[in-house]
Amino acid sequence: MSSATSTATEPMGRFAGSSKMGLAFGVGAVCLIAALAGFFVGDASAAAHSYLIAFAYWVGISVASTIMLAIFHTAKAKWPIVLRRTMETMGATVPVFIVLFVGVVLGLKQLYSWWPESPLAAHIEGIEKVHLGHKQHGYLFPTFFWVRQAIYFTVWTLVSWRLRSWSMKQDETGELELTVKQRKFAPGALPFLALTITFAAFDWLMSLTPLWQSTIYGAYYFAGSFLAAFCLLTVVTVLAQGKDLYGSVVTTAHYHNLGKLMFAFTAFWAYIGFSQFLLVWIANLPEEAPWYGIRIFGAWRPLSIALVLLHFVLPFFTLLSRNLKLQPRKLMVVALYLLLMHWLDLYWLVWPAMTGKAGPSFHWTLPVAFVGVGGIAVGFALMLARNKFTLPVKDPYITESMRYVQP
Amino acid sequence: MAETAHAAALDPLEPRRLVAPHHDDKSLNETLLDHVWRKPGKGWFMLFGMTSAALGLLVLGVTYTLARGIGVWGNNQPVGWAFDIINFVWWVGIGHAGTLISAILLLFQQKWRTSINRFAEAMTLFAVMCAGLFPLLHTGRPWFAFWLFPYPSTLGAWPQFRSPLVWDVFAISTYLTVSALFWYVGLIPDLAALRDSSKGKLQRIIYGAFSLGWRGSGRHWHNYKTAYLLLAGLSTPLVVSVHTIVSFDFATSQIPGWHATIFPPYFVAGAVFSGFAMVITLIVPARKYLGLRDVITDRHLENMNKVILATGLLVSYGYLMEHFIAWYSQNEYEFWTFYVNRATGPYAGVYWLMITCNVVTPNIFWFKKCRTSIPIMWVASILVNIGMWCERFIIIVTSLSQDFLPSSWDIYKPTWVDWSIYIGTLGLFGTLFLLFLKFVPAVAVSEVKELQLELKHAEHNAHSHGAH
Repeated sequence: MSSATSTATEPMGRFAGSSKMGLAFGVGAVCLIAALAGFFVGDASAAAHSYLIAFAYWVGISVASTIMLAIFHTAKAKWPIVLRRTMETMGATVPVFIVLFVGVVLGLKQLYSWWPESPLAAHIEGIEKVHLGHKQHGYLFPTFFWVRQAIYFTVWTLVSWRLRSWSMKQDETGELELTVKQRKFAPGALPFLALTITFAAFDWLMSLTPLWQSTIYGAYYFAGSFLAAFCLLTVVTVLAQGKDLYGSVVTTAHYHNLGKLMFAFTAFWAYIGFSQFLLVWIANLPEEAPWYGIRIFGAWRPLSIALVLLHFVLPFFTLLSRNLKLQPRKLMVVALYLLLMHWLDLYWLVWPAMTGKAGPSFHWTLPVAFVGVGGIAVGFALMLARNKFTLPVKDPYITESMRYVQP
Repeated sequence: MAETAHAAALDPLEPRRLVAPHHDDKSLNETLLDHVWRKPGKGWFMLFGMTSAALGLLVLGVTYTLARGIGVWGNNQPVGWAFDIINFVWWVGIGHAGTLISAILLLFQQKWRTSINRFAEAMTLFAVMCAGLFPLLHTGRPWFAFWLFPYPSTLGAWPQFRSPLVWDVFAISTYLTVSALFWYVGLIPDLAALRDSSKGKLQRIIYGAFSLGWRGSGRHWHNYKTAYLLLAGLSTPLVVSVHTIVSFDFATSQIPGWHATIFPPYFVAGAVFSGFAMVITLIVPARKYLGLRDVITDRHLENMNKVILATGLLVSYGYLMEHFIAWYSQNEYEFWTFYVNRATGPYAGVYWLMITCNVVTPNIFWFKKCRTSIPIMWVASILVNIGMWCERFIIIVTSLSQDFLPSSWDIYKPTWVDWSIYIGTLGLFGTLFLLFLKFVPAVAVSEVKELQLELKHAEHNAHSHGAH
C-alpha cells in the first residue's frame, strides 16, 4: 500500500513559495501603518473599532480552522486529507495574531467602557454604574483580562502547532504512529478550543456592551468564523493550481463536500442568530432588549434586515444547487461572497457599540485595517507553507482521500 | 510487503470490520430475518409480561386522570406543569437519536449507521408517541385536542400563534409523520424479503401487502434511494427544530433559569445525548438475544459511546454558559436560581445527581476501555438517561417552585398518578419495542448487504493495488 501512496503523490514536490508573500506582507504593513496613523492622528475610536473587526475576523478564521482540523481528526475523516495541510497552515498562523493583538491593546480605552479610565464610562450613570462596577470587580478588570488572553493564545498556538508538526514530520517519515498521535490529541484539545473561543468572544466582542450578555454569544462568533473558515479553505483550494500545489488532486467530490458544509454552516449561523434574536425579542427584558433595540429599530434597521437576507437567505438558496457545488470556480465566488458577509456580520456586532442610534457609517480605517491584518496573516501563512508539501504526502489515507467519490 | 500481509483489514488503524467478513447475502438474510420467524423465547414473554403490566399502570393512571381531572396530579400553584412536561421533553429527546442516526449520519456518509438505524428509528417513533400523551392529557379534556389545530371553527377561536406550545403541536406532529415515513420507506425492501422468505400464507399476504409490491427492480431501487435521501434531507432540520421548539417552551419566558439564549442548541445536544444513551441501553441486550453481534459490532458500540461523550460535553458546555452568565450578568435572580436554589435548595439532591450523571459520567468515555466494555457502557447509558430526566426536573420544577416572590413559593411533589403514568409510558414504549423486535427486522437487511458488498469491493481493490 505504501507504494501506491508514493506513486500517487510522486510528481508533487515542495511548495517553492509564492511571490505573493512579499506582496501580502508589504500591503499589510502599509495598511497597518495607515491604520495606526488613523488611530493616533485621526478618529481614534473609529480606528480602534475598525481594527477590532479586522482582528476578530482573521483570528476567528484561524482558530476555527484549528477546530475544523481537530474535528476531522476526531471523526477520523479520510476525505478531507488532501485539504488538511491548508487547514493546518491557516490554524498555525495564530502566533502572528499575538503580535497583531497589540492593535487591540492600543485601543482598549476607546473600545471598552469597563476598561479603567475609559472615556466611555462617563456616560454610564445610576444603577448601570453600580452594575458595571460589580462586573469590573468580578470579571472585567485588566489583570484577569491579561491572564485570559494569555490562556487563549497559548492554547491556540499549542494545539495548532502540535498537530501541524506531527503532520509535517509524517511527510518525512510516513510513520503510522503520527496519525495515531494526531487522532488522540485532537479530541482532547476540542473542549479547550471551544471554551477559549467562547470566552474570547465574550471578552473582545460581547463586552463592548458590558451590561448586556447572552449565553449563546460564543456559539454565534464561532458559527460565523467556522463558516468563514470553510469558505477560505474553498478559495485557497480553488486557487492552489500549478506546480507542486494540491489543487490538482482535489476532485469535484471534495468541492461538493465543501459546498455542502458551507451550506450547512450558513444554516447553522442563521439558526444560532435566530435563536438569540427570538429569545431576546420575545422576552423583551429591559437589560437585554436594548442591544437588539439599537440594531433592529432606527438607523440600523436596514442593515439588520440586509444581514438576514444576504448572509442567510441568498447564500442558502444559492447553495441548494447541486450543480453549483460541483463547479469550483462558481463555488469560489459564493465562498468569497460569504467571506464578505462574515465581515458585515462582525461590523454589525461591533460598530453599533460605537455609533449607537446614529446608525451605520463608513470610516476609511475599516477596509484599511481589514487589509492590514489580513495581509500580515496571509503573508505569514504563505511563509509557513514555503518549502513544505501542500498536502500530507505520506498520510496513510492520502490515496483514499484522492480517490474519494460521493456514495 | 509487511502491509500486504495484514491488508485483510482495509484500514491500517481500524482492523475491526463493520460486518463480520464471513457473511454473504444469503447468510445475512438468514441471520437478520431469523428473529422474526423464530418463536420468541421465554425471555421475550417475560419481558412482554412486565411491560404489559406497566402498560396496565398507564391505563389506570390515565383513566383515573380522565375521571377525576388533572387535580389528581401533583401540579400546584406555582408549579403549573411538572411531570407532564418533564416526561414529554424526556421522551421527545430520546427520540432524537433515531433521526440523527438515520438522517444526519446518512448525510455525513457514516457507514456504521447502517446496522443501527432501523432500531433507533423505531425507538424514535415509540418515544414520540409516549411524549405526545403528556401534553394531550394535560389539556384536561383530550377529546378537544383538535382545538390545538388552527381551523376555521364556528367559535371563531384560533390558537395563540405566539405561544411556543402551539409551535410544539406542529413540530411534534410533523416530526412523527416524517419519522414514520422514513422508517417505513426504509423497511419496504426488508418487508419484501420477509414476504419472500415466509413459510405461511397469511404471513406472505400480510408482509406482501406492506411491501407495496416491491420487486427489487432497478427502477424500484432508484426511486427508493431518491426518496430515502429526500426524507433524510427533510428530517435533518426536523431533528434540530423539534427540540429547539421544545426549548422555546421555556426560554421564551422570563423566568430565571429558563430564559437563556443557549437553550435551543443545548436542548438539541441534550436530546441526542439521551437518545444515544437509550439506544445503548436497548441495543446491548437486544443484539445478544437476537444474535446480531456480527452486524452490530463493538465498533458500532464504541462509536455510539463517542457520540455520547461529544454530546455530553456539549450539554456540559450549556450548563457552564448558564452558570457563567448567571454570575457575570449580576442579575440577582439568575444568580440565586443557579447557585442557591438549584445547588442547595429543596431539590439539591436531584441537581447533584444531574451533574454527576450528565457532566461526570460521559467523561469515562475518554477511555477506550470504558467505550468498549459492555457492562460499563450499559450502566453509564442508564445513568445518562436518569441524568437527563433529572435535568428536565431541575429546569422545570426549581424555576417554577421558587421564582421572584417568596410569598408565591411552593414545593412540588408528584403523586402516585404522576408516577403511574410515567412508569406506564415506559411500559408502552417497552411493549411496542418488543412487538417491533418480533414482527419486523431489527436491522436494515438490504443496507447491511449493500455495505458488505462495498466493503468486499474496497478490500479487493486494496489487495490488487498492494500487489503491484
